[in-house]
Amino acid sequence: MGSREEHRAVGHPVPLGELVRTFLWIGTVGFGGGYAVLDLIRTQLVERRRWLTSQQYDHVVSLAEMAPGALTVNVLAGAAYRLGGIGAMLAGTGALILPSFLIIVLCAGLYTAYAGAPVVQGALHGLEAAVVALMLVVAWELSRGIRPQAFQLGVGAVTFGAYLFLNVNPIFLLLAAGVAGAWRGGARR
Amino acid sequence: MIYLRIFFTFLRIGFFGFGGGYAMVPLLRTATVGPHGWLTPPQFLASVALGQITPGPVAITATFVGFKAAGLAGAVVATLGMFLPSVLVIYLLSEFYHRHRHNRYLRGALEGVLPAVVGLIAAVAVGMGDVSINGVVPALLAAVVLLGALRLRSGYALLILGSAAAGALLLR
Repeated sequence: MGSREEHRAVGHPVPLGELVRTFLWIGTVGFGGGYAVLDLIRTQLVERRRWLTSQQYDHVVSLAEMAPGALTVNVLAGAAYRLGGIGAMLAGTGALILPSFLIIVLCAGLYTAYAGAPVVQGALHGLEAAVVALMLVVAWELSRGIRPQAFQLGVGAVTFGAYLFLNVNPIFLLLAAGVAGAWRGGARR
Repeated sequence: MIYLRIFFTFLRIGFFGFGGGYAMVPLLRTATVGPHGWLTPPQFLASVALGQITPGPVAITATFVGFKAAGLAGAVVATLGMFLPSVLVIYLLSEFYHRHRHNRYLRGALEGVLPAVVGLIAAVAVGMGDVSINGVVPALLAAVVLLGALRLRSGYALLILGSAAAGALLLR
């Protein structure tokens, strides 16, 4: 009976300890964030542990993409909510972030102590160059989900220029883009 | 009180970070660098770079800023502020999304926000590149990472650690 696996995957509560351990592990090995880690999460939650069906997982991802914030955190918070309610969501999110939090605090302490050392300066300079490249990659990947119409191109270009050259607050730009989009959406049909 | 200021600063960034961790970098820069900010421009670049070398989300950069601003307690409140909106919005979406997903105003708003996010990320990348890509070696390094990330679809860890090592050897 192949139904046993499906049976487990249809929202039966998952033991909290097991969930926290799994999330701690993902938070420890999930380098790079974003879409790079989604494969890892799918492997863990859908294929290995069978906590969610593939369909349930895709639904969680589609919700997570609409929410603000780090994609991995949103996906796992959504999955945890589905698996065990608010308690699981809070415990799971904490477990996910804890490893990075500890490493960053350690790094911040070391940075404060050794920021002047040439090797540290060099390593950070190398990382900065990599971050610039990765941000361009992210912008490119995100842009492929956008329909290339005049409205979208205009919003992208205006936002780019307003932030880079005029230093306009990005929150204001996001709000303005959202309002313009809603107005356009409401005017359709 | 500084802890409240840190908490609400990151709470606001968390609520408007549409498009993932990288989309928060422009918001972080505006909120933390400047005359009344907690970081100098080089420190900001370092904080984003450090957010990269840790596992887990890039948004953990908030923890670094909190630490620089007010020590360990600052790091804790910054982290809470940054990730609380995610949890809250995911909860609301899980409960209410089905009822409103065909709402044309909501869909229109999302269609407007996404190109704005792309424009912001590209702008902050150009702004950062203007500062940090200041020679042949950083330019080559960025080019290698760009091609590598577009090719290797999964896992940036090697690219990130490799660029730190290359920088330590070649850019000191």
